[in-house]
Amino acid sequence: MERLSRRSFMKVAGAATGAAAIAAAPPIARAAMGDGAEKIDATTDVPHEPVVAYVRDAARGEVTVSSGTVEHTYRDRALVQKLMRAAGRKGTI
Amino acid sequence: MSSHREAPSISQDPAADNADTYAFVSPDDPTTVTIITNYVPLQGPPGGPNFFEFGDDVLYSIYIDNDGDALPEITYQFKFHTTYRNKETFLYNTGPIDSLDSPNWNKRQFYSVSVIHSNFKGKNHSHDGKGTVLGKDLACPPCNIGPRSTPNYEENLGAPAVHSLPGGISVFAGQRNDGFFVDLGAIFDLGDIRELNSLHLIPTATGTSVDPLKTMNIHAIAIKVPISMLTKDGSVPTDPAKAVSVLGIWGGASRRKVYVQDKHKKLHSGPWTQVSRLGNPLFNEVIVPIGDKDEWNAVDPIDDKGFEKYVKQPELAKLLPVLYPGAFPNLAAYTKDRADLHAILLTGIPSGVVPGFQNFTTTKPSDMLRLNVAIPPTTSDPNALGLIGGDAAGYPNGRRVFDDVVSIELKAVAGATIPLVDPSFTPDAAVGAVSSYLEPGNDRYQETFPYLGTPHDGYDTPSS
Repeated sequence: MERLSRRSFMKVAGAATGAAAIAAAPPIARAAMGDGAEKIDATTDVPHEPVVAYVRDAARGEVTVSSGTVEHTYRDRALVQKLMRAAGRKGTI
Repeated sequence: MSSHREAPSISQDPAADNADTYAFVSPDDPTTVTIITNYVPLQGPPGGPNFFEFGDDVLYSIYIDNDGDALPEITYQFKFHTTYRNKETFLYNTGPIDSLDSPNWNKRQFYSVSVIHSNFKGKNHSHDGKGTVLGKDLACPPCNIGPRSTPNYEENLGAPAVHSLPGGISVFAGQRNDGFFVDLGAIFDLGDIRELNSLHLIPTATGTSVDPLKTMNIHAIAIKVPISMLTKDGSVPTDPAKAVSVLGIWGGASRRKVYVQDKHKKLHSGPWTQVSRLGNPLFNEVIVPIGDKDEWNAVDPIDDKGFEKYVKQPELAKLLPVLYPGAFPNLAAYTKDRADLHAILLTGIPSGVVPGFQNFTTTKPSDMLRLNVAIPPTTSDPNALGLIGGDAAGYPNGRRVFDDVVSIELKAVAGATIPLVDPSFTPDAAVGAVSSYLEPGNDRYQETFPYLGTPHDGYDTPSS
């Protein structure tokens, strides 16, 4: 299983698009995400080829990242936990 | 229908709905094979102002297996893009469109053609969208609107949209007359055939079959390729008995795995994911149960093992004796696995079953059209019943545009082909009466590539 750290994921996503969309997730909750994340209104349109990350299995810490015509699934419990917090979901990890 | 709207998911996605696949040795150019895959089914010709077109966000594929492993050694892929001359008008055209580069044509569609040569060994989608480009910015014709907008359609627009590619390949992508024919209204009314109304479980007065598709259009992707570019050894086979003579062929459409709807724009991410496919006509339509149809569309022929049970014990063969009480006693009593249908649909017909013919490709059950290219085309009085009508150039040896696949498959499911593999079985007399009872008009087809006829124009169709 390939590994992707939270830092490297954010670097890849940020370099490609400046944004990561969370597919198939409910609206982002008001709860603070921690790690200095700040809930804001989107400042740009979605890029032409968005980098998309979705939690495939929260309990296993599995997240799938699509970019271009490629996708990879990673086990990154910290990243999944942060995404789940952003989605307003608790207690799934 | 052949595969028009045949599964729950794809019925909501006409641009990616592979409705028909054809493959045959070109009758006017017998050193070539023509393959056609049709999409956007059941088009009402007046359907503007945004007339029908291919999906810019769909990857259309034609697959060829030339070594009997149920995986494609050759894949042709087609990608489309739409342009506008003038976004300040609501009009599709601002005057007569008399050529493919007419300044009056506002909303135009172009495409590229790529080829992938590989032996994927189970990873047959890993190169999707990344093939070698054979041609790009190839113009589709406009839809056939009417005498003011698209005058002299075939001469001005249809014929010029046949493009030549390197190596002697010809391609066409655009609107055509739908060549498929069936009495939709009757067949979906509890399997009725109007000529047999009096025999039906719910009888009514005998009627005459109606073909609603005779006034509808479809979008065709057609490619004509020299046989030597398709066979495993680069030959043009002349011996039907040789394995190299048989090609497995199917079509498919894929979408990106993720899309994001951002206001009025759709944005895509992720790998191509198959949403539709078609080899044999009617396979997903009447063989696969509704709960498995979407999955069938998403997987490849190499994965068809799981659907084998539906071919061996087809639901339709059990329905016929119920819907037509007393008409199919021998079929009703036949409980063995249908080795005849298994061969026709999933492996190809081996040598020794039909004298002088075979289109066997593999023991791996896989839904593909199987075309024996060493069988020459029947150019004089071809029989629309194909092989069961004594014409080995027709279905299930590939599929020609005029083949009466509804009659062929109904007769086969009803038991006509069981004696090929089980001589102890006697088909019921009613098998002879099972038919589409339709003969499509000459306007449905043309004698040269792309072989499907001029699309109906919206002004004249319907005529009243």
